[in-house]
Amino acid sequence: MGKVKIKKKETRIDMTAMSDVTVLLLTFFMLTSTFLQKEPITVITPPSVSEEKVPDANLLSVLVSPDGKVFLEVLGDKDSTLKSETVRADLLKNMAAEYNKLHPSNPVKFTAKQIDAFSKQNAFGVPMNQMAKWLDMPIDQRDKALEKAGIPINMNEDPNNPNEFQMWIRAAYNSMNENLQQAMVKGKGISIKADQTTPYSVVNVVMDNLQTMKMNKFSLMTALKAEEE
Amino acid sequence: MAKNLSRQKKFDTRIDFTPMVDMNMLLITFFMLCTTMIKSQTLQIALPSNEKVEQEQQNKVKQSEAVTIIIDGKVDDKGLSKPDEGMLYFFDGMPPQGEELKNLATSNPMKQIEFGAKTGGPLTPIREILQERNKEVLKKINELKKDWKEMKFDPKNEERNDSIYQAKARVIRNDSTLKRPVIIIKATPNASYAHVVSVLDEMAINSISRYQIDRINEVDSAMMILLQGQNVK
Repeated sequence: MGKVKIKKKETRIDMTAMSDVTVLLLTFFMLTSTFLQKEPITVITPPSVSEEKVPDANLLSVLVSPDGKVFLEVLGDKDSTLKSETVRADLLKNMAAEYNKLHPSNPVKFTAKQIDAFSKQNAFGVPMNQMAKWLDMPIDQRDKALEKAGIPINMNEDPNNPNEFQMWIRAAYNSMNENLQQAMVKGKGISIKADQTTPYSVVNVVMDNLQTMKMNKFSLMTALKAEEE
Repeated sequence: MAKNLSRQKKFDTRIDFTPMVDMNMLLITFFMLCTTMIKSQTLQIALPSNEKVEQEQQNKVKQSEAVTIIIDGKVDDKGLSKPDEGMLYFFDGMPPQGEELKNLATSNPMKQIEFGAKTGGPLTPIREILQERNKEVLKKINELKKDWKEMKFDPKNEERNDSIYQAKARVIRNDSTLKRPVIIIKATPNASYAHVVSVLDEMAINSISRYQIDRINEVDSAMMILLQGQNVK
């Protein structure tokens, strides 16, 4: 009797189908994704039943940390000449002009390189007299410094003598991006993003500042909550 | 020559896809980790202007329609507001004035309710009160909702059915012939932001079109202190 020949099995698996699936998934993720933006503080927004989505263009978000630090984020227009970078550069120039009007003895000035660095920054919030120094830092140090800073803000109801937060609001309102201005008037352009554990006194300061700047309409950022019927 | 050609070795046309799959998997992982799928929602609010003129206009709100809600909370030693602890104070009508102020201790119009167990938790007690005040509007809205569920506005087009419903609901919410309450929302400095948002949410849930956020004043705090004193006894 001859030996029974054991048939050699092919160990290679056909990966074509697997590849098809992964490419499909990849395409899906690439098309639906919006990248997470780096934020100086992490906030968990409170839940609400509101179904209105946050606009993804022409938005000034006010990021409020539970201990009262305030940061700003600016989004420009989509698909136009007023991209976020352009709008931010313009905003900084406006803000410098506003600031120098009130502090003529101690004016701030920015180099083209600093303005360029600012335009690439998603969130910002350091006092104006430290802004130039902050923009000169390398990116990783900048993030760390930002966490400790925050825009100077206080209870101030005199629009003729604004604090820095109010100046930023005015600078954003008067920037070359008219769509942002319109959105701000309609109440869709300003959004407060605060953590749910924030005491009301902290949020109230921000709201009061906005009221002083005649921005009586704005929105609060919330997470979706399903409402049981 | 011809023989040579026919003996040409056959190439295996199958390509090994394993490295391709590896690379794709890596890319997918990268995209999954770096993206946000859920977009945040927003809640639109409008505050009264800081100017004095409008403050006086607010006071003209009819006495029977006004409900003032005051949100109170507790702050822990880190300065964070506890989202699961809170108290709601409320009273109907105008805040006490003149003579009424002297009799606050005996006839305090304010009542209090405990907040729901957790943030975003059920606010049933205050919801019942709001629904009672806004029952005329809610009755009509509920009738409308029934029609909407049965797709009566447009049986074929769901989107159109929705938009007609929304438009009709808006008309009802702003119908001045119905008895609609005016809610004045106030919060103490210790109240948590989450509580303020959930009370604002109640306005949307209960189809209340007229509400405003206001600052807490001395009379409010006096009433709260009195009420807390009474409870201790």
